[in-house]
Amino acid sequence: MNQPLIIRRHYLIRAFILLGFALFIAYLTRSGALYFYIAPRMEPLIRYVPIPLVVMAVCLAYQALFQRSAALCDCERPLSVSGWKNTAVYGLFLLPLLLGSLLPNQELGSFAAAKKGMSLSSPLLASEQLEEIFKAPDPYNTEFAALAQRLYPEPIIEVKPEIFSETIGAIELFQDKFRGKKIRLSGFVYQNEDLIKESKEFVLGRFLVLCCTADSSPFGVIITSDQPISGLAKDAWLEVEGIIEPQTRQGKSMITIKAQRLSAIERPATPYVYPNGDSIQVWDDINR
Amino acid sequence: MNKIPVPRLLPMLLPAAFALACLTVVSPALLRQVPMDEVQTFKTSFLGILLEALPFVLVGAILSSLMHLFVSEETLRRWMPKHPVPGILFACVLGLVFPVCECGMIPLIRRMIQKGMPVYMAVVFILSGPILNPVVFSATYMAFRLYPEMVYARMGLAFAVAAAIGAILYLYWKDNPLKHSLARGATQDSNGQGHTPAHGSNKLTAVFIHAADEVFEMGKYLLIGCLLTAGIQAFIAREHLADIGSGPVSAYLFMMGFAFVLSLCSTSDAFVASTFLQTFSGGSLLAFLVFGPMLDFKNMLMLLSVFRTKFVLLLTFLISALVFTGAVLVGTLWL
Repeated sequence: MNQPLIIRRHYLIRAFILLGFALFIAYLTRSGALYFYIAPRMEPLIRYVPIPLVVMAVCLAYQALFQRSAALCDCERPLSVSGWKNTAVYGLFLLPLLLGSLLPNQELGSFAAAKKGMSLSSPLLASEQLEEIFKAPDPYNTEFAALAQRLYPEPIIEVKPEIFSETIGAIELFQDKFRGKKIRLSGFVYQNEDLIKESKEFVLGRFLVLCCTADSSPFGVIITSDQPISGLAKDAWLEVEGIIEPQTRQGKSMITIKAQRLSAIERPATPYVYPNGDSIQVWDDINR
Repeated sequence: MNKIPVPRLLPMLLPAAFALACLTVVSPALLRQVPMDEVQTFKTSFLGILLEALPFVLVGAILSSLMHLFVSEETLRRWMPKHPVPGILFACVLGLVFPVCECGMIPLIRRMIQKGMPVYMAVVFILSGPILNPVVFSATYMAFRLYPEMVYARMGLAFAVAAAIGAILYLYWKDNPLKHSLARGATQDSNGQGHTPAHGSNKLTAVFIHAADEVFEMGKYLLIGCLLTAGIQAFIAREHLADIGSGPVSAYLFMMGFAFVLSLCSTSDAFVASTFLQTFSGGSLLAFLVFGPMLDFKNMLMLLSVFRTKFVLLLTFLISALVFTGAVLVGTLWL
């Protein structure tokens, strides 16, 4: 089974593919586009991936080009000689590189939100409604209560991206207390007839991501207005300032925001939001 | 060896390059025909899963390669407990000190089996490692903050299922479960005969060459798994899936199938599960949380690359049956 020429060719192709992956990941890290795919807490792991990849590629290339034929051997893991099989396998490895380099990097948007099911409640609160069933001690509510205490005195409640889902959760949990308060938040435009009333409303959404885009859950807040809102593009990024108005819809109580000012903004560098272990700490750090 | 037809890739490069050039020129027109939303969502999910798994695959490949070259069978045998009961317990807690995702675990395990680790211990490690570790514990705790029983139920059931499968394999499985080609490699190694793999004179180079071999070996299964998973996430709406499993028993089956199809990493699946709290019973979510890390699309393909099909099928059956029974029991009695 030892055919030096075939082994050399395999090694060379592999070296190129590994190098391609290394470059692609280095590019993603450099340009910040990595945040379209994974959560920042995974970033330290992925940042250093190009190093072993390049070392592997160099070793393989060295073997392929300069190793004596006698020392090349694939008896442990025979390399395929079938052209079709090889094309298929290496094509598979090239696919992510092609997808990554040919298509523009883009964050998840309305389409994915529709597939995953847009929630009109902070995903962190998803279990809240089942409180009667699960009589568990409730350290989480304490955290939300502490956060709510800090939010309440603010003249305009700014929903910080760092603690987005926590802030929405805290307001939702104590929605009656927050009725009529001013709030400012940003997100992408999501329009779906099932959730909103004709032209006067839309959903301002965000994706909550834990590790990578595969585990993202979309959620948002309904934005209402007196006049019909026109000229909103799907997936456009907006900053909304308005008044909190709790409402009951389809048997569920939820917060809506009566818009006073809408302004288009640039897409943020980290388009998703991430759950935070200690939202109080983060709040105190931001507002120090 | 006679002449084997050599694949002629080189002559194909020119037409391929030409085709690519044409494609780039006409691509704006063509691209407008393609449903971009689907493609973009698919791409974002696909690369997300792949990028997340990649560091773990690399760590697994390099560790496995180091073990191959530097740890002898005797050393490994000295570490391993001889008796099955401490053996199974040892494998269960191995995840505590070695928290890698399942993607990194499979190449490592293969190497350890080749070096003489008993099969039952290896399987216990594959099954329990992705769940019984501190990272997953804290992630699950965070996702189910209102519902801490779930965390303990998850850890407990995973331990019980892994240990039970270990015991069953210890009692009933005597063959070598590795694929034929791989098993042969192992015997050659242990006899110290055959062709000594002299990948260069330098051992350090050899580590990386071996690791690259592992990456390509595992990588193709990982990639197929990622493709399927991303496809399902991009093209099938979650509500349609959720409609299937609304009955009390079908909920369990559905959540297990869902876990299999989604192929999430065990550190993040708890979060996805918690979004189903309103729709599904606690027991069925437990089934999701325990079944997913033990068996899913991605890692079943990776298992198939290492183990014989018969063995993987047996494992699939055992995991499904035990997780189902366990989750139903815990779900009705406790949660």
